[in-house]
Amino acid sequence: MDETEILNSDRISITAPAGCGKTHLIAACLRASADKKPSLVLTHTNAGVAALRSRLDAAGVARTRYRITTIDGWALRLVGTFPGRSGQSPSILALKNPGFDYPAIRAGALSIIDGRHVQDVLEATYSRVIVDEYQDCIIQQHGMIMRLSEVLPTCVLGDAMQAIFGWGRNVLVDWTKEVEATYPPFGRLDTPWRWDNSGCSTLGKWLLWARGALQTGAPIDLRNAPEEVTWVQVSGPDDVQALTRAAYTASPVAGGGALIVCDSRLPRRHREIASRVKDAVVVENADLSDFIRFAEQFNFAAPTAADDLIDFAASTLTGVGAAQLKQRLKILLAGRAQKAPNDVEQAAVAFARNPVPNSAVELLVEINRQSGVAPLRPSILRACIQALNGCVSPIEFYEMAVRTREQSRVLGRTIPRRAVGSTLLLKGLEADVSIVLDTESLDARNLYVAMTRGSRRLVICSTSPVITRQI
Amino acid sequence: MAVIRKIEIRNFRSIKSLDWWPTDGVNCLIGAGDSGKSSVLDAIEYCLTTRRSLSISDSDFHNLDVEQDISITLVLGRLDDSLKSYETYGDFLSGLRRDNGAIEEEPGHGLETVLRVNFSVSGDLEPKWRLLSKRAEDKGLERGLNWGDRLALAPTRLGAWTEHNLAWRRGSVLNRLSDEKPDASKALADAARDARKTFGVQAEKQLGDALASVNKAARELGVPIGASAKAMLDTHSASVNGGTIALHDELGIPLRTLGLGSTRLLIAGLQHEVSDRASILLVDEIEHGLEPHRIMRLVSSLGAKTKPAPQQVFATSHSPVVLRELSSDQLIVLRRSGDGSHVPLAIPGEAQGTLRSFPNAFLAPSVLICEGASEIGFIRGFDQFCVQNGHISLQAAGLAMVDCGGGHADHLYQRAKTLANLGYRVGVFRDDDIKPSAALQAEVARLGGITFTWEDGQDIETAIVMNVSEGILLRLIDYAIVLHGFDFVGDHIKSASGGIETLENLRGLLYPQQHTITADQRAIIARAAGGKNAWFKSVGAMESVAREIIAPNFDGVTEDFKAKVNALLVWGQTFYG
Repeated sequence: MDETEILNSDRISITAPAGCGKTHLIAACLRASADKKPSLVLTHTNAGVAALRSRLDAAGVARTRYRITTIDGWALRLVGTFPGRSGQSPSILALKNPGFDYPAIRAGALSIIDGRHVQDVLEATYSRVIVDEYQDCIIQQHGMIMRLSEVLPTCVLGDAMQAIFGWGRNVLVDWTKEVEATYPPFGRLDTPWRWDNSGCSTLGKWLLWARGALQTGAPIDLRNAPEEVTWVQVSGPDDVQALTRAAYTASPVAGGGALIVCDSRLPRRHREIASRVKDAVVVENADLSDFIRFAEQFNFAAPTAADDLIDFAASTLTGVGAAQLKQRLKILLAGRAQKAPNDVEQAAVAFARNPVPNSAVELLVEINRQSGVAPLRPSILRACIQALNGCVSPIEFYEMAVRTREQSRVLGRTIPRRAVGSTLLLKGLEADVSIVLDTESLDARNLYVAMTRGSRRLVICSTSPVITRQI
Repeated sequence: MAVIRKIEIRNFRSIKSLDWWPTDGVNCLIGAGDSGKSSVLDAIEYCLTTRRSLSISDSDFHNLDVEQDISITLVLGRLDDSLKSYETYGDFLSGLRRDNGAIEEEPGHGLETVLRVNFSVSGDLEPKWRLLSKRAEDKGLERGLNWGDRLALAPTRLGAWTEHNLAWRRGSVLNRLSDEKPDASKALADAARDARKTFGVQAEKQLGDALASVNKAARELGVPIGASAKAMLDTHSASVNGGTIALHDELGIPLRTLGLGSTRLLIAGLQHEVSDRASILLVDEIEHGLEPHRIMRLVSSLGAKTKPAPQQVFATSHSPVVLRELSSDQLIVLRRSGDGSHVPLAIPGEAQGTLRSFPNAFLAPSVLICEGASEIGFIRGFDQFCVQNGHISLQAAGLAMVDCGGGHADHLYQRAKTLANLGYRVGVFRDDDIKPSAALQAEVARLGGITFTWEDGQDIETAIVMNVSEGILLRLIDYAIVLHGFDFVGDHIKSASGGIETLENLRGLLYPQQHTITADQRAIIARAAGGKNAWFKSVGAMESVAREIIAPNFDGVTEDFKAKVNALLVWGQTFYG
């Protein structure tokens, strides 16, 4: 697709199926723009910002060519800079009540842009606006960007078939009725670069075809799929044996990774699968909610503090033997032990006698170091150790936990070799192999997202070889 | 390029306070000496300079009062994209309402987006530059301009020394001509090394004796200097860092050795060349070092004649040539008001004519507005007589005279009002045969304007004829005969008397001591001397009348006339301001 034409258009939308070179196109546009001013690149999440930025770095785009941030982050800053024109109370900027504050911030940003208060400032600052993952915009964000595009040339990229974040009050923009009505469609990226680059062009083409089939409701017969696609017949969601075997599917290349897609409504299932598959770990949500909950409830002074910490460790690692350790600790503390304590037990005693962040870190590290222990939820454990390390006194633990989470949001996620998660968590990640376990629970869009996570192999577990979905 | 929309100066040198909204084009400050004109130029330069260190001393504080901070704020409008950048200056951008000058904290629809740059110095003499913004302050944010923006904004100054601009140096106008950057450091370093070597050989010859003594002493004392000491250029003095590249003429003579005027002219021309991206231009004394015809050239390369104005210029001047070349809206009279603050007074469009014909009037503290050539000549004659007798001249006392060329008396008062409003001390010198409107005269009087005129209904000729001795009268008639011929004067007498009186008869009566003329005859002479073709209706003629005839014979005039003339002279000789 020709970037000069994109640069010459005031308003344009581009449909970008998964793996078809969207980032490459953005990079090309940023490089080709003759304008001295940077482009404003907007996306949805901090992780998305981090991922896109590192890919633009890799593509050799100078950072002076663009400013990248999240849509809400940009709106927040705009309202923070021009509070008087936003018509909103400055108190919303503290984000004490996100459910109320974010809509108010978007409304504030809209009224700043709509009132034409900073039109010249925006024109002076940016050459254009590029919005990535536009299908994930909720109506209010779409409203704001629409007004912004009256000031600056705007190009939006996205794929209606990957719009999976709409639920409850989160009503997503309708691609055909709303997006393409405002931003005339410029075309669809149709070269499956991700698969071409890994030598699996046939798989890439077939996935584009499958996208069409999912869109129109046509049946997909997995038996007619290219050789890179494997159908694993399962009797149902409880067919543990077949599912586990599927989850073990190796990457065709040495050191390659795999993503394992499970039902998004059952987080516990992610951990079960991960604990059953060697080297598999769970992908956490950006809120690290399980960790934050632990940090909120954990009380260093409680008599059960050591037990609680051991239980937490056991929830993030496999093979901890929590029950046994807790039992030994009780005996050791009572002074009734026959056998001398090992390193872990010593650390547990040390923590029980002196429950401070330092000794807690010691205990977690010792547990992790035990033979037979393997990571299950490494991001949670890592975050916890990091937060504890940052604490001077126990009372700071929760505050540090929140800060650690915010840091990890900005840093983005590291992709484990074999990761288990839902489409919501795995979207934006890619690996060599995609293994779709709970196929039955996925609707057309989620299924498309799940199928396109692997660049070399696709494994689909289902009861029937023929899959049909209605949008 | 950005322009200065507003200048606010507090406690800087002679200026206690000044708030000024300059125009986008040429802003030439005029006003009495020491009125703070150059301080305004310095204030702009200090606020936007790229010099990292300024030496500020106690004398830069108004009245040496270091307790009151120096503060200079420039409101910059017509901002470039980089100055308007939301990413860089978002928290500091404000909105200027152009119709009433109000500044709103945040930019807004229908407002011009502006930045407020502040320069301040408190008692510790540490200069501080920052951008003003209430909301940034609330957030605890503080910043100044980016170095790049500072470089772009730094004003070019045509001061007493401007050769700086004829080299490729930081902030020099040559650097704005193009983006090319000379890199001479390597060439210069090599040249310096060569120079050291070459000079070493010559030095041996030139300093042979001294070197021999050094060698001898060193040997005797056992100081290790090798075989023999050498005289070479000090590495320090021969090293060249960065290097300066300057403009030279075809013979290789540096252009900075051009005369002052040529240098300034060339730099103004270069600045004009790049006016689309040129910064603000500051010009001390536009006329400095230039002949009148070159002043005109400089004025036009400042863009004074171009619409819309290509660049913003702040200048000072004391030259009537400059004033004549500029239009009224390009001139600002800087005055200190009663409460000690400075006020910039715009010259109204109706003063354009006065400005063109009598630019001097705007450069003097006092102005006498004269009805016509006769009044001018009359005063000048007396002035010359006084100077001959050792008095100070009116001009030296700061009085300028404006010739209104006759016309209705209201015309004089209109001019008087304009000038009085601009802070000049104004006098009106007129005939009383045509009276001004009472309201206008009263208004000028309220502004401090004083009126000099004759008895009710008299013009200047009547006043003279009715108030001088017969001896003087005869000399006046004889001088008129010299000027115009016997027949001309005779005809005037005949027609003024309805044919019953003759010049010969009147001269016969005036000449010998035993005769006197009647009041009627005096009235006839007055009528004959005045009117449309008045005998002395030119500056030169009336000047001679006053200097040669009336002033030397002042005891031959009435007390009343004497008093009037003296009042006028005393007013004119009193220095004002």
